[in-house]
Amino acid sequence: MSYFIQTFISGFRTTLSNILNNKQTFFLSVATITISIFILGLFLMLFSNLNGFLAKLDDQVQLIVYLNDNITSSEREVLEDIISKSPFVKSTKKISKKLAWEEFQSNMSENLKPLLDIKFNPLPASYKIQFHEADSRLIHIRELSEKLNVKKGIESVEYGQEWITKLEKFMFFSRLFFFAMGGLLCFGLILIISNTIRLSIYSRQDEIELMLLIGATPRFVKVPYLLEGMLQGFAGSILALFLIRGLNFYLKDEFQSAIESMSMEFKFIAEPYLFGLVGLSVLVGLLASYISTFQFLRIYK
Amino acid sequence: MIQIFDVVKMYDGSNPVLDNFSMEITKGEFVFLTGSSGAGKTTILKILFGQEPFEKGQVLVHGLNVGKLTNKNMYTLRRFMGVVFQDYKLLPNKTVFENVSFAQEVIGRDRKTIRFKTWEALKNVGLTPKKDTYPACLSGGEQQRIAIARAMVNEPSIILADEPTGNLDPDISIEILKLFEELNKKGTTIIFATHSQEIIKRGKHRIINLSQGKVVEF
Repeated sequence: MSYFIQTFISGFRTTLSNILNNKQTFFLSVATITISIFILGLFLMLFSNLNGFLAKLDDQVQLIVYLNDNITSSEREVLEDIISKSPFVKSTKKISKKLAWEEFQSNMSENLKPLLDIKFNPLPASYKIQFHEADSRLIHIRELSEKLNVKKGIESVEYGQEWITKLEKFMFFSRLFFFAMGGLLCFGLILIISNTIRLSIYSRQDEIELMLLIGATPRFVKVPYLLEGMLQGFAGSILALFLIRGLNFYLKDEFQSAIESMSMEFKFIAEPYLFGLVGLSVLVGLLASYISTFQFLRIYK
Repeated sequence: MIQIFDVVKMYDGSNPVLDNFSMEITKGEFVFLTGSSGAGKTTILKILFGQEPFEKGQVLVHGLNVGKLTNKNMYTLRRFMGVVFQDYKLLPNKTVFENVSFAQEVIGRDRKTIRFKTWEALKNVGLTPKKDTYPACLSGGEQQRIAIARAMVNEPSIILADEPTGNLDPDISIEILKLFEELNKKGTTIIFATHSQEIIKRGKHRIINLSQGKVVEF
């Protein structure tokens, strides 16, 4: 058996023995990780549900280009050329003045019918442009709108700029908040785990000193503590994800019917994010224990 | 095999514990390192296995320049050596058997070899009946024998023993000396630090006598 595997097996045995000897500290550390990852995961779940909700709204976003009544056919061709050349445009619907008036009439409520007595058609012709689904759809809409707005023959361009800008700002700050909170929680976790591992190391200080004096490599000494940190991270994140899953089931049971009318559902965290959270937690555990063992071995010869 | 050239070691920066100390030990030798308390015996042993840095000079063990070894590769030096510490350094939560096998685990031996070699080492020091006992339940002489078994179990080419009979009564001290002599007969180089004149007279080996960090007599 290679020395590497031997070191790993022996390290794993030492890890288990460390955990058994310091059960309370280990479980305290796992509980802290569970709480932190739970908060992070909960936010991630809310964030992805919100994202889904906003994506639904996003689907309804379209660019409407209102044309001047006296637009020439060459100006119209220029506009159609720009629209058709954009790779982000899914479909374009031409609405003539006449069609716009007919649609307006058919949508008009009975009480307002007297308004239809006017002798001219005040509505402009327009293009209703739908865009392909993409995270950057709003950016594409804005870009095309800016391109068209400066052309001749345009009366106005509308795509709900105000609320789209608000939506974008909201999403930006949500992301910022998520990363800031994630960063702070990870930092806190690193401190907590590294202290737990430090306690574990100090409780076996004599043994480690002896190991080094009788020919153990620094790697041999480090491995059990690195494994312990990783194990804490793994156990903490798995427990946290179980809790979030439980909460997700509860929310579905209680509130699914209320949001079904909006053709929405409570989603759990998407798979890549699940693996991401577990990976992050394991990485934080590894990093924290690495810091502790590194500091300890630096002072020991 | 072991060469020390003009080593200076100071703990407080002014009074040298070792003052231009030099010595040479050939392969398979048995050497008594003697001198009064504070003469520098333990410091020499600690320098030899890389536990203490030194200010000046050069120390070569098996061709390895001890002063140039870093924490990362110190183990290469220590695997040539078995050390019997003055305070034994036994692990109280491990049995006699586990204490001895521990020395092999840390160098990555497989379990079958560990069992066999541990058993053999315990047989050599006469401790097989007590293999499952914890060190705290054993006498000073028995604890010392565990430390010797641990030092010899990896079959090192050099054994450094720091006052291995320091706390033992004369009869047991002689027994311990015999154990080291048997190891020496098998080719192991022994450096035996002691201030016991009785042991030195009994042993009839080369003596390096230290006083205030200098060799006063070979």
